[in-house]
Amino acid sequence: MQFKLDRRVHYSKAMLIATPIMAVGLSMLVCTLLLLVLNKPVLLTFHSFFIAPFENFYSITEIFLKFGPLLLIAQALAVGFRAKVWNIGAEGQMIIGAIAASSVPVYFVDSTSAWLLPAMIVLGALGGMAWAAIAAFLKTQFNANEILVTLMLSSIALQILYYLLLGPWKDPMGFNFPQTVMFQDEALFPYLFDGARINTSIAIPIIFTIGIWLFMEKHFGGFRLIVGGLAPSAATYAGFSSKKAVWSSLLLAGFAAGIAGMSEIAGPIGQLQRSVTSGYGYSAIIVAYLGALNPIGIIFAAFFLAVLQIGGDVALVSADLPISAVHVFQGLLLIFYLATYTFVNYRLRVVRPITQATPKLTS
Amino acid sequence: MNAFRNKMLKALAAFAVSGLLINTAANAADPLKIGLLTPSPIADVGWSKALVDGVDAVKAKYGDDVEINVIENIQEGPDADRIMNKMVGDGNEFLVLGSFGFMNGGLKLAKRNAKRTFLHASGYKTAKNFSPFTAKYYEGAYLMGMAAAELTKTKKLGVVSAFAIPELISTINGFTLGARSIDPEITVDVIWINSWFDPAKAQDSAKALLAGGADILFSNAQDTPSVVTVGEEGGAYVFNLNGSMKAYAPTKYLGVVKTDWAPFFVASVDAHLAGNFEGQNQWLGMTDDVVVVEDWNSDISEDMMAKIEATQADIVSGAKHVYDGPLVNQAGETVIAAGERLEDGAILGMDWHVEGVNSPLPK
Repeated sequence: MQFKLDRRVHYSKAMLIATPIMAVGLSMLVCTLLLLVLNKPVLLTFHSFFIAPFENFYSITEIFLKFGPLLLIAQALAVGFRAKVWNIGAEGQMIIGAIAASSVPVYFVDSTSAWLLPAMIVLGALGGMAWAAIAAFLKTQFNANEILVTLMLSSIALQILYYLLLGPWKDPMGFNFPQTVMFQDEALFPYLFDGARINTSIAIPIIFTIGIWLFMEKHFGGFRLIVGGLAPSAATYAGFSSKKAVWSSLLLAGFAAGIAGMSEIAGPIGQLQRSVTSGYGYSAIIVAYLGALNPIGIIFAAFFLAVLQIGGDVALVSADLPISAVHVFQGLLLIFYLATYTFVNYRLRVVRPITQATPKLTS
Repeated sequence: MNAFRNKMLKALAAFAVSGLLINTAANAADPLKIGLLTPSPIADVGWSKALVDGVDAVKAKYGDDVEINVIENIQEGPDADRIMNKMVGDGNEFLVLGSFGFMNGGLKLAKRNAKRTFLHASGYKTAKNFSPFTAKYYEGAYLMGMAAAELTKTKKLGVVSAFAIPELISTINGFTLGARSIDPEITVDVIWINSWFDPAKAQDSAKALLAGGADILFSNAQDTPSVVTVGEEGGAYVFNLNGSMKAYAPTKYLGVVKTDWAPFFVASVDAHLAGNFEGQNQWLGMTDDVVVVEDWNSDISEDMMAKIEATQADIVSGAKHVYDGPLVNQAGETVIAAGERLEDGAILGMDWHVEGVNSPLPK
């Protein structure tokens, strides 16, 4: 017996909306079982995940603090994924963006210039783009697989970060701890509210999303990009360049990830240190797919994942859940979502092998 | 049918309410909530376990008057800040932050919550309600050095070490001074792996040290038994900090420089409850019963054990200090002359190695 997935010709719009609800339902069911086995409070856990993040103002601002970088990176990655450019190294592009931006407050420790922050934004974007450009160059010149190259470049980026923190950029008053000086206020995004970490950098992902939406849905360039990735030879006949698709996808992702990294060090962290990405570079890949690579879908997906992560932190503290259980819960939700989504788009067909033996040849 | 449904709904509601009640009932008795945040998983051994043992001692003393909440394996970074925030929001009045990377976030939180008490591991910043705590590991390491000097044949000792922060530099220097007090020909090699917890790297580094001729290993602030197992397998005596790992090296275990945080944590909770906690740099050693040396290997001769015990008694009484002059640095320059004693500040900010350490400090 074999299983085959056939793409549905007609699929129900209602089912598409029911998909996330089913995914949440199924994963809650499995989680309930897991929690019972772990002997942890079931209701309290679900409360932590889905209600507690909205219970107070601070917590809501924290959701948006996570929402920003996830949205920014996922939008850019989705453009690349639609053009079949598999950049999974946003993590590294984020790190290099953060490093490039940090060079300003590290070398101009005493500056109080109003140009600090704009300079950091520009450098962050350029840093991320430069890092992504390496992969684009290798892909277009030598056809080097961009999945491997971008992933490996992330490891290299991390080592560069460690080197700088342990060496030249170490805080001279920091007793050899691997971190830079704390940045001056002029190098940080202004807070939106008193007592919350959400800052003006949230505007960037929102503007970026609108731009991407206009580009992909309304602009011919978006179409060219997708064709270039989907059918390189067709694109060539039409006069579109597939190389251009690789370059623009990767540079766009580098741009977004670089600014996201910059927003972290000029936002909640306030200095360059060993962990600057919070894993956004990888989570954004999930967000891009959860949002079905659609600019509007990605807004919801980024918000959902942000809530899940904040909820996970709450569950850690309030429901006394071990951190690995939190990860399992988050993983289950995503797996069930992707599974149900697949079944909405595809039909499972059981292929029975022909049991009847071919007529015997009589000799 | 309706009746049945009503019944089910009522049962569900009752279930939900009882869940909430359990949660609030805990608040009714008003115990002091103590939160511990650790950077690595709580295993049977290691740094995080030592911290848990410390808060358990508080629990043993106060029983139901305190409630302990342990959150383990939290990466340093912006997420850790949120989790700390949540711990405070959940009513934890007394927080133990188990890693230097929690410093800046913890300090901000302490300043906003003046009535709560914070203890912070390995840092250097203080506030009225924020005490960094560090162990004088170098006292124990000095004694280990004496034992190592007797057992080494190659006169080469190897150290696998986490970060080049003063706490660990002074520990290596103490170890070296102890060994050279017995045999001045001994030299020490150090490999910095820049991680508290990286089993693979720790293991590789330990093997590299053995290949370089070392026959005694020191696992400096490694939260894994990797170095200890390499010692047992490679026939080299080995010791570590914080908690005994004798089980991993039954024949070659030199001993442990244990940290017992119980007396300090209990005293701090006492002070918090009495309302007279004062944030200050807590730098604790053998005199405070925080640094304890035990599990000595039986291969150490009785003569040497007697010498070690005498030295230990002198350190506790204050007759001897590990950093008594004359002290010579790696470059051969005299740091302080005979008859003088290195100031506390110079040890707390130590950024140089004593003569006898071959490896340069990472710059």
